[in-house]
Amino acid sequence: MKFAIALYSAAHAPSSRRALRFAQAALAGGHEIVRLFFYQDGVHSASSNIVTPQDEQDIAQQWAAFVSQHQLDGVVCIAAALRRGVLNEDEAARYQRPGINLQAPWELSGLGQLHDAIQSADRLICFGGP
Amino acid sequence: MSTLHVLSHSPFSDTRLGSCLRLLGKDDALLLSGDAVYALQQGSVLKSLEEQTVFILEEDLLARHLECPSWATCVDYPAFVELTIRYDKVNSWL
Amino acid sequence: MPKSLLIISRQAPWAGPGAKEALDIVLACGAFDLPVALLFLDDGIFQLLANQNGAAIQQKNLTANLQALSMFGVDDVYACSYSLSERGISPAGLAVADVQSLPVEDVRALIDRYDQVITL
Repeated sequence: MKFAIALYSAAHAPSSRRALRFAQAALAGGHEIVRLFFYQDGVHSASSNIVTPQDEQDIAQQWAAFVSQHQLDGVVCIAAALRRGVLNEDEAARYQRPGINLQAPWELSGLGQLHDAIQSADRLICFGGP
Repeated sequence: MSTLHVLSHSPFSDTRLGSCLRLLGKDDALLLSGDAVYALQQGSVLKSLEEQTVFILEEDLLARHLECPSWATCVDYPAFVELTIRYDKVNSWL
Repeated sequence: MPKSLLIISRQAPWAGPGAKEALDIVLACGAFDLPVALLFLDDGIFQLLANQNGAAIQQKNLTANLQALSMFGVDDVYACSYSLSERGISPAGLAVADVQSLPVEDVRALIDRYDQVITL
């Protein structure tokens, strides 16, 4: 089964962790993830500048490690990311902003990537809210 | 086509569950996760759920020290994945 | 055959970027010529009201974007009649002319008919 997984919440929301555990279980079950698409506040789940207390789960870091390990297509919506201050090196330079908080394995791209994922997947699964 | 509706908001502070129940088709099911599992708390919401096909994410039940009622089914993540395949589509009430 | 997508918009217009970001998914879909429909449910209904004045809170009105949906290849725009009556809104008073008001059983059938659904 081919899954497209869309995330709409920040790393501190329980739904971000739930999406990650779902994605891990999907791969463990022999399924394929055609793309992860982070939209709305989901762009914060890709931030590389999150610092969690040592005795708490670092979900953003776990997401990045998961995407790297399985060489997944991790796409962060560029419009949603700019609005929320999630910038990679190119965008920080383009808009002359001092901080970079988006790095590989994440890529910034447009909503067309969500539609493309919906078309190529058997199931679209969205996570967001609390 | 059958739809698995996924909820994660508490039904006591939010209208999603009510709207979802109105729109539920006969082949559809509910998956309660996060604070949506508070729907199982003895109270006014519970009655409307009992006639539906209800799945509950086990970890959220355990975290809240709630019990799985006999008319519902507890699922872990592998079972959650299988559910999304069993139903034709998934509608998450974000 | 391309998969069809139903976007269910249930956010009020002035509660942050949510309503606009739901609309953006719809517009992107129309731009790619994919089968898409938009349903207003619950507080999403408030997006359809006439004479809103976003300028009062330094926001852009969404109304013009909603009125132009058909120009962007989005012809299937619906409102849940239960949500309308719950809020005391008459379908005749909506700012968007082409929106079809659907009773609950038709909303249920609509969700059933589409391949994928995103509820925001």
